[in-house]
Amino acid sequence: MNGNARKRPAPPSVHQQQQKHHAAIEEEEMDEDVFLDETLLYEEESLVLRDMEERQALATRLSKWKRPSLSQAYQTQSQNIVFQKLEIDYVIGESHKELMPNSSGQAAIIRIFGVTREGHSVCCNVHGFEPYFYISCPPGMGPDDISRFHQILEGRMREVNRNSNVPKLVRRIELVQKRSIMYYQQQSSQPFLKIVVALPTMVTSCRGILDRGIQIDGLGMRNFMTYESNVLFALRFMIDCNIVGGNWIEVPAGKYKKTAKNLSYCQLEFACLYSELISHVPEGEFSKMAPFRILSFDIECAGRKGLFPEPTHDPVIQVANLVTLQGEDQPFVRNVMTLKSCSPIVGVDVMSFDTEREVLLAWRDFIREVDPDVIIGYNICKFDLPYLIQRAEVLRIAEFPILGRVRNSRVRVKDTTFSSRQYGTRESKEVTVEGRVQFDLLQVMQRDYKLSSYSLNSVSAHFLNEQKEDVHHSIISDLQNGNSETRRRLAVYCLKDAYLPQRLLDKLMFIYNYVEMARVTGVPISFLLSRGQSIKVLSQLLRKAKQKNLVIPNAKQAGSEQGTYEGATVLEASAGFYEKPIATLDFASLYPSIMMAYNLCYCTLVTPEDVRKLNLPPECVNKTPSGETFVKSNLQKGILPEILEELLAARKRAKADLKEAKDPLVKAVLDGRQLALKISANSVYGFTGATVGQLPCLEISSSVTSYGRQMIEHTKKLVEEKFTMLGGYEHNAEVIYGDTDSVMVLFGVPTVEAAMNLGREAADYISGTFMKPIKLEFEKVYYPYLLISKKRYAGLLWTNPEKYDKMDTKGIETVRRDNCLLVKNLVNECLHKILIDRDIPGAVQYVKNTISDLLMNRMDLSLLVITKGLTKTGDDYEVKAAHVELAERMRKRDAATAPNVGDRVPYVIIKAAKGAKAYEKSEDPIYVLENSIPIDPQYYLENQISKPLLRIFEPILKNATLISNSDRTLCSHCRGREAELYCKTVANVSELEKLFGRLWTQCQECQGSLHQDVLCTSRDCPIFYRRKKAQKDMAEAKLQLDRWNF
Amino acid sequence: MGAMEVDSENLLQRKQSLYQTSDELFEIQKEMYRGQQYSQIYFARLHLLRTLLYSLIPTWKPHLPVCTVLELEKGKECVVVGTIYKHMKLKPSVLDEYSKKRSATPLVKPHNFMHPDDQLVLEDESGRVKLRGTALLPSVYVTGIVVALHGKETDAGDFLVEDILDAGLPPQIELPLKSGEDKYVVFVSGLSVGSSSSNPLQFQLLVDHITGHLGDEKEQSIAAQIVQVVIAGNSVEVPHGLLNGQNLASKDQSRLSEPIKELDILLTQIAASIPLDIMPGHNDPSNFSLPQQPLHRCLFPGSSAYNTFRSCTNPHLFELDNVRFLGTSGQNIDDLEKYSEAKDKLEFMERTLKWRHLAPTAPNTLGCYPFTDRDPFFVESCPHVYFVGNQDNY
Repeated sequence: MNGNARKRPAPPSVHQQQQKHHAAIEEEEMDEDVFLDETLLYEEESLVLRDMEERQALATRLSKWKRPSLSQAYQTQSQNIVFQKLEIDYVIGESHKELMPNSSGQAAIIRIFGVTREGHSVCCNVHGFEPYFYISCPPGMGPDDISRFHQILEGRMREVNRNSNVPKLVRRIELVQKRSIMYYQQQSSQPFLKIVVALPTMVTSCRGILDRGIQIDGLGMRNFMTYESNVLFALRFMIDCNIVGGNWIEVPAGKYKKTAKNLSYCQLEFACLYSELISHVPEGEFSKMAPFRILSFDIECAGRKGLFPEPTHDPVIQVANLVTLQGEDQPFVRNVMTLKSCSPIVGVDVMSFDTEREVLLAWRDFIREVDPDVIIGYNICKFDLPYLIQRAEVLRIAEFPILGRVRNSRVRVKDTTFSSRQYGTRESKEVTVEGRVQFDLLQVMQRDYKLSSYSLNSVSAHFLNEQKEDVHHSIISDLQNGNSETRRRLAVYCLKDAYLPQRLLDKLMFIYNYVEMARVTGVPISFLLSRGQSIKVLSQLLRKAKQKNLVIPNAKQAGSEQGTYEGATVLEASAGFYEKPIATLDFASLYPSIMMAYNLCYCTLVTPEDVRKLNLPPECVNKTPSGETFVKSNLQKGILPEILEELLAARKRAKADLKEAKDPLVKAVLDGRQLALKISANSVYGFTGATVGQLPCLEISSSVTSYGRQMIEHTKKLVEEKFTMLGGYEHNAEVIYGDTDSVMVLFGVPTVEAAMNLGREAADYISGTFMKPIKLEFEKVYYPYLLISKKRYAGLLWTNPEKYDKMDTKGIETVRRDNCLLVKNLVNECLHKILIDRDIPGAVQYVKNTISDLLMNRMDLSLLVITKGLTKTGDDYEVKAAHVELAERMRKRDAATAPNVGDRVPYVIIKAAKGAKAYEKSEDPIYVLENSIPIDPQYYLENQISKPLLRIFEPILKNATLISNSDRTLCSHCRGREAELYCKTVANVSELEKLFGRLWTQCQECQGSLHQDVLCTSRDCPIFYRRKKAQKDMAEAKLQLDRWNF
Repeated sequence: MGAMEVDSENLLQRKQSLYQTSDELFEIQKEMYRGQQYSQIYFARLHLLRTLLYSLIPTWKPHLPVCTVLELEKGKECVVVGTIYKHMKLKPSVLDEYSKKRSATPLVKPHNFMHPDDQLVLEDESGRVKLRGTALLPSVYVTGIVVALHGKETDAGDFLVEDILDAGLPPQIELPLKSGEDKYVVFVSGLSVGSSSSNPLQFQLLVDHITGHLGDEKEQSIAAQIVQVVIAGNSVEVPHGLLNGQNLASKDQSRLSEPIKELDILLTQIAASIPLDIMPGHNDPSNFSLPQQPLHRCLFPGSSAYNTFRSCTNPHLFELDNVRFLGTSGQNIDDLEKYSEAKDKLEFMERTLKWRHLAPTAPNTLGCYPFTDRDPFFVESCPHVYFVGNQDNY
């Protein structure tokens, strides 16, 4: 939908054929049956014998972090169990004899993991819920035909599932009255067949059979359109039981049975029937969060020189852990497990071991004892977790990967392909830790924020305003091979890295926002990260459809004539520098409003054929500008508009409650909720337009954009007609630019206040001409406003007439990462001078000075560093790229510090022989500093700063060009000016000393220690090169000064 | 000139005294920038002062165990020695230049960065611990001081301070017995020749006074008792905008060299008659970080011809007739004022002596050369005269 990276589990081999059939479909999500295996259960107990004494010591150390013990009422099962649901999955096991005396054999058991208000962990085994889907019933099929059909289907299913020992593959087929969501239909329902199968995976295999066609006596070969056959089993259960992600579930006392043997590590494990669950709406008491345990961890590996750590060779040397209770601001457990001795650290429990095996096992014991509900970290899903597991395999520690909540189940590592349009296809690992939610902050960042770099350092610099110390992986081995002091140094670093994800989580309210998103959209929390966008809309659609007795076809193409459609409109921009206030008129949630206003939905769309046939009265239909016909809500209320109405109403409510709320935790929940509601409302439109999505319908999406276009043009017309001098206004208004959902108007008045008044008037006037709830709002004024071209502008934003709020820019090179910092600084400074200081000559002078500095090689090198990611090795690139060539050259110089695939390569462009290719001129900034290599100012002038600057200055100055002034030669030394020349030399030294002091003390600050040398080599840090340069320059300047000692 | 002749009968002889400098302590000759960092000077300082404090603890708190930051245990009372680090919210950072938004107005007055939330941390080689308690006021202490603290670790992992021990005043070499005669030393600072506020007449009057060209016999006899002039920094003010590395127009060249020439002329007059020490200050054409090195002789072609003219370091340490003088051109005290609080400047000076350190905030906020094996700012023995130049008033 938005090109986000999505993971697709590898299809089980049973469905090979199936897979071919649907090869083109990207978003296929499939259930995968996991069989409960009880044989392993007692194996591990025998392993406990391993070095009893040592384990005992460790166990007592770990046991103080146990969960609170169960109260009497829980133990005697006399209390209702109320818990917040976190994770959900299912296993195949024997059906429960007491709960379901009438059935036997294998069945799917839903497992819900959660936490009670007191902090007890819960594993709830839900029995009795059966997988099913629908097909439309062929006309004239009677009860006898159905039972015959049942037999045929059972036979065909047997062929596919030969190995299954389930007595009945297709449990039942029921005749139900439903209606398809697709297209407006006059009759209220049609007969459908509900096919109930034994196991969740059979839904897919059964669908395959029906898709391909089945021979039915008397009817001949028929293939069937299936409905709701692509819904994951766990989601199906949640929808049918009205359970949303992260909500509170209650099981009354007496309705649950304690399991005979505990198969999980949870404190409360029980079985119940799915019909006994009470799902609480997340309001009041039930909107709160349970005190779940969040583990944040980080590992360090001792890599070999020049190579990125690989689990087959490189040992895990440290694991740092922090455990925090949700809602508290300090972690209650901080520890680090180290290989070999490590000096103690204040406030941290340091556990040292002699072998790697012990480190890994200690970590496993720790996980089991602390029993975290959520596991967070930075890049844990791709690196830390798979690394630990693969390392344990290499070391043959079979008992290591029991990290989940289920006793006998090892953590599974799946190879997944990670494919998206942006990144191409990459192989990676997916680790399933049963019963624990994995929340990888890296994935979240990549999903939710557009940043120039996603390294932990730049992310924490961006959000926490803190530079992170970065120890290069080649140094890590040296520290490990030192003494207990150097290992302590490493442990401190490791702990910091483990703490940062937790701080990001708190700062950005991820727990609240994601739990709320799960509650609003009704999917499990883990889906939000591991699956695409569309499942969220699909979940809401399914829930709504169920209420309305509608079924959703499993058609990859819901509407007709697929293809591309015309997107949003952008009015031609009249580029220029506007020194009069520009009022901005915005449509509030334009696309959702259009869908509501015109009742656009799957079920209100009238097929062209029906338009002719049904003869609907014109007052009952809307014909959209793109030529589609939808019925109005008096004939059939659309589901999508209804979902949107509910979302927006809920958002309004959440916002109102937010104002009332006092408790900061309640506020956090409500704020997360209103945000989730807003995002959900906006994603509905995208769902209908995603051609590779679950239920695309381009008739809807193209109608939405066509209405959008029409409205923007309508607004332009009205503004320019009404606000004229003929109409009694001071000036003729002019629309200078219009974007997807906003229009910029130049009313011609000189003051912000006057522009605001006119803006409000225009918004009210034009809103009146639109159908409800489409509304034009006036929010802000830009003054002055620099309009460069479509989607590129800058201006000072005013929301009140007294003072501007901020400088707002769009589409201007300030954050692109393949630009050097100089461009960003230059552009920012120029905009600042032009817009805030209103000093155009000053801006020009500033540019001139900067260029002169650049030409005379006085530029701070860190401003010139360009960074690019190295995604593959040199041979794989077709075109020679500067950073790839450099990486190769660096590898020849010193393999240990050369960048590897996956690293970001910083470089500068240096002066080289005439005619040298750009890629030959790249060089490592450190190398440049150390060897005093001159940079190539011409390159920076032409390839970096010229374009963005010209773009800014073009609307302001006519004929803007950058003229490079040549370097003036220095005059020769003359005796009479000793004093002056000395002054200059010494002033240079003094400047450098100042800088040296400031830079190095800052690094001490980041590092958090005065008595230890700074080790950090974070190339993302803006002062890294400056620091290095200051050191180098200082030595040089000192030498120069010493020459005066004659 | 006529007056001179009249006075020639009762000629006043200028008194003299024995001068000995110890500035080599502050000279940077062999030391180079070889990639060393600031950790070493902190280490040297901690080592020096800790040895000293350890020798005091048995008399201060004889019953208490001494431990390092690492060895602290919850609830156990003990004494711990370490370097103070003051975590300051408002402290300007070089990273601020890179922050996304440029704030329209600076939040604080630039002369003081104190904030009620400032926190003290104690650090030694083994680790850091947050300090709590009312015994220790964050407003008084600054980063870089070494102290002994009595207290215990709290449940939150902080250290609750109950009592503090500074290194205390250094021992003073006994003042040599009075020879009965008065001798004077003149301290001057902030001459700022070349700035808009400097008045050439005042300076000339001063020179004439010192050299004995002014006043009646009584005044002249006092002037004759002056044995030494010390100029404690900021003698000239060169327009800094000119020194940005660009080549200068000839007009600007003279703007730069003119004040220095003027100063040289006046200094020549003093040096002709009396020993003169000149120290570099913040505005002088010298290096920035402490210890500042002597102003180069080529700046003073006239006065440097006299052997009475001595260009010294800042800080400056010398003895006159065995009376020990120690002082700076004021940067150390100015920096303390930015990062801590006292009732007046004298109190800051007193504190530096008690802490046994001339410039505790170096290198943290005050520029300083990254020494590797020593900390020249450690006050070994108490001077008889401690002076600081360039302050608001006496």
